Amino acid sequence: MFEGIAAQYGGAGYGASGGGTGLANVAEPDKAFAEMTRADYLDYVKDYRGFEEELIDKAQSDTTLVDQAREDIGAAGALASGVNQRNISRYGAALTPAQIQQQSRGLERASTLGGIQSMNDARIAQKEQNTRLMSDLINIGQGVNRSSLSQMGSAAADATARENQYTQAKAASKAQTFSTIGSLAMLAFSI
Amino acid sequence: MSSKPKKAKASAAEQASAAVAMAEHKYFKQKYGPLLIKMRDQSRSDDPTQQLRGRANADTMQALSGQNAQQTVRGENNSGDVANALTGQLGIAGNSGLGIQNQMGTNVLGTARQQASDAQTGMAQASRLATSEALNRAKANTEVSNAKFSAIGQVAGAALAKGFGNMQTSGNEPLPYGQGAKGREVKGTFFRPVNSEGKKFGFMSQKGSYS
Repeated sequence: MFEGIAAQYGGAGYGASGGGTGLANVAEPDKAFAEMTRADYLDYVKDYRGFEEELIDKAQSDTTLVDQAREDIGAAGALASGVNQRNISRYGAALTPAQIQQQSRGLERASTLGGIQSMNDARIAQKEQNTRLMSDLINIGQGVNRSSLSQMGSAAADATARENQYTQAKAASKAQTFSTIGSLAMLAFSI
Repeated sequence: MSSKPKKAKASAAEQASAAVAMAEHKYFKQKYGPLLIKMRDQSRSDDPTQQLRGRANADTMQALSGQNAQQTVRGENNSGDVANALTGQLGIAGNSGLGIQNQMGTNVLGTARQQASDAQTGMAQASRLATSEALNRAKANTEVSNAKFSAIGQVAGAALAKGFGNMQTSGNEPLPYGQGAKGREVKGTFFRPVNSEGKKFGFMSQKGSYS
């Protein structure tokens, strides 16, 4: 994309011309700038538009933390129980049936309560992450919007200035024409 | 009559500025464009969460496993604490990982959209992974349990030492006047020390006479 612009506006052979300076002559900077702006936008659409839409979608619908917490709750209980069993076996502890039953109940109770808390924590964390991502994206979008409005304002001001200049030039031209006609008429009458 | 005006050309300074600007722009596109695309792909594919979860798991087990074993053989139950600590730490790891990934994404997009980018990956968070309330609570419970067990051991040890000390005490009952110097020898028991005159005192008394 960029090579085309460089070639079109005097940048052909870019890097090798310009008397050894590596700079090409840009005879029409305004047109080159217009093409660069257009090329940048097209590059963004090609490389980053899809990515941006993915992020916006993610900020609205991501549930990975909640899903993962749901998986972890079941797995952690089983893991802790396994560690406990292995320790009992490893150290040769002889627990009474009442102790074993109590351990099992305790694990179940703690896992249930802890699981509820983990799920609540995960929901809050998920909401925070999604909100943070969304606000970051909005900040980026707001910045883009601000610079777009600025560019548009600049273009509109230029167009208005051109229009005014044209109107003034037209009026001056008419005035000049009438002035010339009047002068010629006076000259004719005086002869 | 004046000649027809010619279209004004860009001055030499303008042309030079434009040439430099174009060269810089081209250089940026060539050098940094591919890097930014690479970062974009990385932010999609890299999963810092898995790395952090591995560390969270190791941290939890390191903090609780040793003391947990002591509690287990005493028949105490702390599996629930371990499970809660683990899910809490994994939750924190997941949260940090997602934050890092989102930050990478917005950094790339911010740069691509020519907005300010926060030039950090957020991986620094990995070095200060927070400790969950559950892990702290589990550690505290284990420490309390072990402290209690240790305190009971110390008290029992002190009581045994005192009891055995009491057993070492002995004395002679005084005889009625004129019947000799020493009467019957009395030895202290585990719970009752005796003084030099064979008189018994309470378990904690310091009046024992050690032979």
